[in-house]
Amino acid sequence: MGGPPRYTWRFDVVLENLPHLLSGVSLTCALTALCMLLGLVVGLVAAICRLSRWRLVRGIAFAYTEAFRTTPLLVQVVWVFYVLPILTGVTLTAFFSGLVALGFNVGAFMAEIYRAGILSVNPGQTAAGLALGMTPGQVLRRIILPQAVTRVIPPMATTWVALFKDTAILSAIGVVELMFRAREIATDTYRPLEIFSVVALIYFLLTYPQSLGVNYLYRRFRTQE
Amino acid sequence: MGDVIMRVENLQKHFGPLHALRGISMEVRRGEVVVIIGPSGSGKSTFLRCLNRLEEPSAGRIVVDDLEITGPRVNLPGIRRDIGMVFQHFNLFPHMTVLGNVMEGPRTVFRLGRSQAEARATQLLYKVGLTDKLHLKPVQLSGGQQQRVAIARALAMDPKVMLFDEVTSALDPELVGEVLTVMKQLADEGMTMLVVTHEMGFGEKVADRVVMFDEGLVVEEGPPKRIFTRADHERTRRFPSQLHWEAALAGDEPKGAR
Repeated sequence: MGGPPRYTWRFDVVLENLPHLLSGVSLTCALTALCMLLGLVVGLVAAICRLSRWRLVRGIAFAYTEAFRTTPLLVQVVWVFYVLPILTGVTLTAFFSGLVALGFNVGAFMAEIYRAGILSVNPGQTAAGLALGMTPGQVLRRIILPQAVTRVIPPMATTWVALFKDTAILSAIGVVELMFRAREIATDTYRPLEIFSVVALIYFLLTYPQSLGVNYLYRRFRTQE
Repeated sequence: MGDVIMRVENLQKHFGPLHALRGISMEVRRGEVVVIIGPSGSGKSTFLRCLNRLEEPSAGRIVVDDLEITGPRVNLPGIRRDIGMVFQHFNLFPHMTVLGNVMEGPRTVFRLGRSQAEARATQLLYKVGLTDKLHLKPVQLSGGQQQRVAIARALAMDPKVMLFDEVTSALDPELVGEVLTVMKQLADEGMTMLVVTHEMGFGEKVADRVVMFDEGLVVEEGPPKRIFTRADHERTRRFPSQLHWEAALAGDEPKGAR
């Protein structure tokens, strides 16, 4: 008979190494949470800067968001890990390099989401707040952001899911998350086909419920006015 | 009526090539009700928005209560506290209750305590006849009710002057009266008011002075009786009658036309 050469699948090898493999999951989750947190903060600052009245501040924020949105994530991760220490003299561990690179990457996308959310609030709201004698900062905190929140939650959840999967890229600089463990085990056992198939399945099983959650959020926060 | 509370000198505003205000001068006395009329695009709203610097005047001076508010080193939030504004589209804060809307200014700007702010807001909402709506959200109210909340919200800052920017233009006709009644009550209490409106009836009954705008200039001003019955300028005489004609036309519109 023709067809491709027969390959004997040995999933028992995966099973033996499953605890080791799954030990990467916790770091994948932790990285996602920490990068998200960093991205939420950095993104908000960048979004506010992009709406600043000062051209220089706007320019810096624009350069940041565009730089991170128009270069590959892998390049950013490698650059922060290898090049940044040469430029700054500060060496970070792989974990912190990954956190910074991915966190600032997410921040750039978050900035755009925040900005769209802020701009989607009717300008009359700002006028009303200012007319009461509020400072621009008070208008932002008390009037604009509370209204922007419900509009930015769904796209942010989408970003979260993308981020969860993107943490796999950090295996390239040796962050010991799920994908790194997979590569380790694949090398040790010479069973990359089984390992990477199972790791794909694990990512799917972890991501799919989150994706359903995103769909729920889109329904829940469908524009109410 | 007392001393001059607001003085505007040669106010100019450019929007790119558009010369929206071409030199407006005006004095408003304490307790005076000035009604500003004029066709769309004549600069009425722009003028009002310059008075609390929601629009940046291109040239000219504005002095409120002996304090010049034009110029670069002015505490903008500080001057805006003293100038209440009510907008055509209400601009209530949709994420807050009616009570929350009226408490917001005193709470955030004056750092007033919750109970004090709430007492004050409740009192003002009683004044505008909305005591039974305190805990509703703006979307649950009619346009007329929303606009009365907006008036209460502005009054909560205890302003020296109130600006009304076409506040009944977005309302269904049957809701206009309730808002105008609140405004008349305010006028009777001695509030200084600048009112941009197309409600000629309000101008006739409540205004101390009517100012006619056209193409960024004051065409004419005077007591309502004179402006509405024997204006000096042909442009002013034509304007109110034009409105009546438009109203009549809208009423007679054949049903098939919509």
